[in-house]
Amino acid sequence: MNSNRDQQLESLISQELQALPELTAPAAVADRVMASISQRRPVSWYRRSWATWPVALRVASFAVMVALFGGLCAAGWGFSHSEAYSQALHRGGHWFSGFGMFGNVLSTLADSAVLVVKHLGTVFIVACLVAAGLGYALFLSLGTVYFRLAFAKSQPAHL
Amino acid sequence: MTDAQQFETFMRNYQNMVFSTAMRLLANQSEAEDVTQEVFLKAHAHFDNLDGNPSAGGWLKTVATNLSLNHLSRYRSRWSFFSELFGGHEEPQEPDFPAEDNVEEALLKTERCALVEQALQELPPAQRVPLVLFHLDELGYEEIAAKLNVSLGKVKTDIFRGREVLRRKLRLKLSVE
Repeated sequence: MNSNRDQQLESLISQELQALPELTAPAAVADRVMASISQRRPVSWYRRSWATWPVALRVASFAVMVALFGGLCAAGWGFSHSEAYSQALHRGGHWFSGFGMFGNVLSTLADSAVLVVKHLGTVFIVACLVAAGLGYALFLSLGTVYFRLAFAKSQPAHL
Repeated sequence: MTDAQQFETFMRNYQNMVFSTAMRLLANQSEAEDVTQEVFLKAHAHFDNLDGNPSAGGWLKTVATNLSLNHLSRYRSRWSFFSELFGGHEEPQEPDFPAEDNVEEALLKTERCALVEQALQELPPAQRVPLVLFHLDELGYEEIAAKLNVSLGKVKTDIFRGREVLRRKLRLKLSVE
């Protein structure tokens, strides 16, 4: 390609296209838009996003939220320094002691599993693991094939 | 002036620009009207920010361009089918215009604009859309490729072919020829 020629053509086409005046929109378009707008029901302020609320309501709701947050913080601080809080902590300690028992049960189960493995033999366990791995790989590849076939995009578009 | 009247005035100020943007990308009057309507319904939802805003025109043009491209992308596979069926990459055909050498001088300005407009609308979408984005929306090749989700090479080739078709149809003369 001759780059000088291309640049000249680009410039000429730009001149031609940019010299085009705006096309006149049909009058019906504006009428359709206005009709469509007038048919829409106005959405109540409380159903719109906070940013579109009237300014007075935004200020008032912001003040209420700040007051609620401040009150919550003050109440939390007051509670953490009260007698009731230390009593609640003491009671909670009893509940969490139950987790210790749960740990013991898990430990017993793990010991039983080790015994089973020793009884069955290493070769059997390895064979089971290999079979499980192969099964997983098989289902993964079948799933991939299905996904690609079912959700394949069409060929890149010729725009 | 009520809000509705204010919006109507705003719309009448910009409707030709929005319609032109859509029409040059879509080359179909009823589709361009639909896109124009959609643009102004969106504008109405953001009218608090747009009213009196100097960048309102740019916002409307961007929305009109994006909605037109979305509209075209819905029909892309159909284009692909037809362009393959009828040969989308064929060499540009000879123009149907009178073969006078001084045709450019002979035409009045309005006729010239109509001729350019017609030639532009007769381009296949694959050439017209990137050409309009390049010359009227002043986007770069990379931006166009990203917007249309096609390769950079394809954008350059389509724009080059579109320019060549316009050159022949409009009888543009290059000094280097």
